Amino acid sequence: MKLIFKIIRIFAIVYAALFAVFYFDLDGKLLYYVYEPLMCKHYDNIEGRRNIIDIPYEMKNDIYD
Amino acid sequence: MAEERMVRMSLAEKLGYRKGDLKNFVKYIADDPKQACKDFIYGKEHERRNLGDLYIQPTGLYRHREWRGLKDTFYYFNCIWCYNYGMMVADILSAENPLSFFKGIWRYRWLGQTYIPVLHWYDRGMEGARGPALRASAWHYRGLTHSTIEQFMRMFARDLRFTKGEPNELWKKTVLHNETVSGSIFYPFRDGGLIDIPLEMIPYFVTCHVNSNTVLHYIDAIQSLGLPSDPCPMCQAEAGVGIMDDYPDSAPCIITTNEACDASVATSIIQDWFLNRPLYAMPQPMQYDDPLVQERCQKEIEGAWKFVEEQTGVPFSWESFKKYAELQNEQLEFEHEKWDVAAHTNYYPINGVAQALYRIYYSQYGWNETWQLLDNRVRKIMENCVTNQIDTFPKTRHRVIAWSCAPLYYSNWCTWAYNCWGLNTIINMDSLMFDKFIRTDSYEHALEDLSWYNEMAPMRSMAVGGYEHIFKLWDYMEKFNCDMVMMYDQLQCKGMQGIKGMFEDEFRDRNIHAIWFPHALPDKRTVSRAEIRDCISNYMIDVMHEEPLDPSLLDFDDSMTW
Repeated sequence: MKLIFKIIRIFAIVYAALFAVFYFDLDGKLLYYVYEPLMCKHYDNIEGRRNIIDIPYEMKNDIYD
Repeated sequence: MAEERMVRMSLAEKLGYRKGDLKNFVKYIADDPKQACKDFIYGKEHERRNLGDLYIQPTGLYRHREWRGLKDTFYYFNCIWCYNYGMMVADILSAENPLSFFKGIWRYRWLGQTYIPVLHWYDRGMEGARGPALRASAWHYRGLTHSTIEQFMRMFARDLRFTKGEPNELWKKTVLHNETVSGSIFYPFRDGGLIDIPLEMIPYFVTCHVNSNTVLHYIDAIQSLGLPSDPCPMCQAEAGVGIMDDYPDSAPCIITTNEACDASVATSIIQDWFLNRPLYAMPQPMQYDDPLVQERCQKEIEGAWKFVEEQTGVPFSWESFKKYAELQNEQLEFEHEKWDVAAHTNYYPINGVAQALYRIYYSQYGWNETWQLLDNRVRKIMENCVTNQIDTFPKTRHRVIAWSCAPLYYSNWCTWAYNCWGLNTIINMDSLMFDKFIRTDSYEHALEDLSWYNEMAPMRSMAVGGYEHIFKLWDYMEKFNCDMVMMYDQLQCKGMQGIKGMFEDEFRDRNIHAIWFPHALPDKRTVSRAEIRDCISNYMIDVMHEEPLDPSLLDFDDSMTW
């Protein structure tokens, strides 16, 4: 019985915490102020991309008809 | 301006704290406890909601999400917010290679910047929604989310970048295609294990709706190489993703098309350049009513089929085509039922943005099981509304038809327009495309209809397909019982620009209230969301002499929102 109450209590706490995250838009705030700027910085600094304009663009000989 | 404002904001302000909020809340309860209790249980009436006060300007974040009454708030929390976060994880875990998600998010800006804040996209689309309108619209969004995850996980499972350049078996049985080549073209190969992936649909199209900042990077990338800014920004962005080397390398071949204009042809050339692999161009005519072009279009499709067989080794199967075409026809039948309810009753439970995005997405992507499952859920909600005569949008003052190409960065304008002005968008142009059953009684009939179907792709049919199609607006206005037109003015679409004067003449002659609002498809910097709202509000005040339902939504800054 005690275990059941304990599980219910944990569930209630998690549910209330999630509701607080939802209601106060804490997921949005975390993603907007923290996650997105960090990721954008990362994407700006990715190395090893192909430089497309260095690839010669030639007329194909075997154009599909 | 908005950036400066952000810099000046304190942390508390950024989190949504406003001095006096708590005091005002206590006062609101103390002044009229009975009303406060009623608001808690049922939610505030439309006119007292003040949805605009919920925003943290200019971010578009919420001080707190809307309290919709006990039932709808907990429906939103349990069945939309929690459910969709959970299902997003489940969708990734059930994909072919779940771990590739982490590689994808690390490598591709369009994924990492866009798809994590997806629940905010739900929030924007369903602001103020209650009851069946909230439920049915959310199911449509769920379908879009699931199919999007399915597509990018398929891309990553095949991506040569993640397999050290070694093509796997999945890669060999995949075809990339332009997003406006309909998925139905590939039905003959589905049961043979072929996967078709619309190349730009996820890296470009969906990102614009979910996070309008992502695409700007790609537009800037292509313009930095000297491309002038006046071609269609959709084509610019699609080319920009290529220039930034941000398309996953997930198939041995590609089928391109002219989408709807010459700018798209240029995009195909860039795609051919960076992909550098077998390519089949399947152009579709703009003036497709001409009977002389039909035979040629059918030959183009047969050519594409031959190309797929040769490149992937998956044989053409008439039975496979027939099976999926018939399922697609069933889905179109349900779409007609929905249109019928929307046209003749006030019981249609899907809001303008959910209707538009769902319809354009599934008809472009082709039939899959997800659509069928979700349509069944929506059917139940809709039938319940009709049976019980539930007025799903009770504050409707005008029934609106939206015409031409919509602003991707503000597809939820119709949610705002309903909340602020009672403008209920019943139907829009994009939803009306692909309105074609495919006969499956013979190969010849099927090919003929499939050709027509593909010719009715987005933008081609009612944007650049000739004035007969563009002017179908008048028929649809009557059919859907609309009394107002929201006329999109895509500033960089030469096709629609050419016919603007004729529209204005017709609006005057027919005495139709039409609101023109300019936009630049994916680029929110050219015309901001606030400017779009101003166009609508000015018309409603100056011409219609109406008062807003929710004045807090008249003027707010959301320039830095997703």
